[in-house]
Amino acid sequence: MGEWSSRVIPIVRGLCLLYVTHKYLGTTVVTYGPSMLPTLGITGNVLLMERISTRTGKLRPGDVVFFRSPENPRRVVCKRLVGMEGDQVTYVVDPKNSDKCNTIVVPKGHVWVEGDNIYNTKDSRNFGAVPYGLVEGKAFWTLLPRRDFGSLAPKPK
Amino acid sequence: MRQWRSIAKEAMDRASIIVKFLCLLHVTDAYVVSSNHVLGPSMLPTLNITGDVVLVEHLSHRIGKLGSGDLVLVRSPLDPNKTLTKRIVAMEGDKVTFSLDPTRSFSSRSLVVPKGHVWIQGDNLYVSRDSRHFGPLPYGLIEGKVFMRVWPPNSFGLLG
Repeated sequence: MGEWSSRVIPIVRGLCLLYVTHKYLGTTVVTYGPSMLPTLGITGNVLLMERISTRTGKLRPGDVVFFRSPENPRRVVCKRLVGMEGDQVTYVVDPKNSDKCNTIVVPKGHVWVEGDNIYNTKDSRNFGAVPYGLVEGKAFWTLLPRRDFGSLAPKPK
Repeated sequence: MRQWRSIAKEAMDRASIIVKFLCLLHVTDAYVVSSNHVLGPSMLPTLNITGDVVLVEHLSHRIGKLGSGDLVLVRSPLDPNKTLTKRIVAMEGDKVTFSLDPTRSFSSRSLVVPKGHVWIQGDNLYVSRDSRHFGPLPYGLIEGKVFMRVWPPNSFGLLG
């Protein structure tokens, strides 16, 4: 009994530390999908996400953020933060079909997110402003693929 | 020198016991059951205006076992630093009929709760700010289900 517990306890402590880091500091995330081209590739990127900026309220428009999807609570989505609460956001409603624009003010306690690839993305233009409580963290570093290693690119013009 | 070392070692041992205990407390608090102080008039007569201490369990919402009629603790969509306690009235896909002003019964509206959302209302419709004001609540903002009240002692017992 003593020998078994002396092996398990360091593992449990390690998992504890890993969990606390994951929940409060940050973690690595794998992303895939075309909605953030050209910033993030279709086949997948490995990014580092930190949770400190979300907890201290230091997110700014232009940050790439992860949030729990308002349509499916089991999925975490990655998009770019475009507007904080109170900001006025102008967006193209349906870029494939028309140039019609819409302007809204982001409601209190919410953020407006958009994918960089506006032709193939479901974002705030579809499901509306996202409550801040659903935002999980901010991506600040790309690990893979190797050629994109480093901080993330700003929003393409 | 040796004295400082042994004092430091003893301090570290005691601190690590405290850290381990806090870890366990935190994991229980976030994933099993926690206590919460709720106050305000929006859930009268179920919860008192002067404040109750309730127990909140954090398992049901993770395995999808919430339904209408459950009392839930949610993060406010208007202020991410506040939590609200309300009752789930409708789940996703259900049709909900509500009126913003309960004193005028003929001004009611209906809608279908969208996918991934729930409709919450306070039991005291006259003073509650809930889904009738800020719309359906994304399921991801639900933090737990209120199942029991432990204070004040004369209303100790299961809720809901």
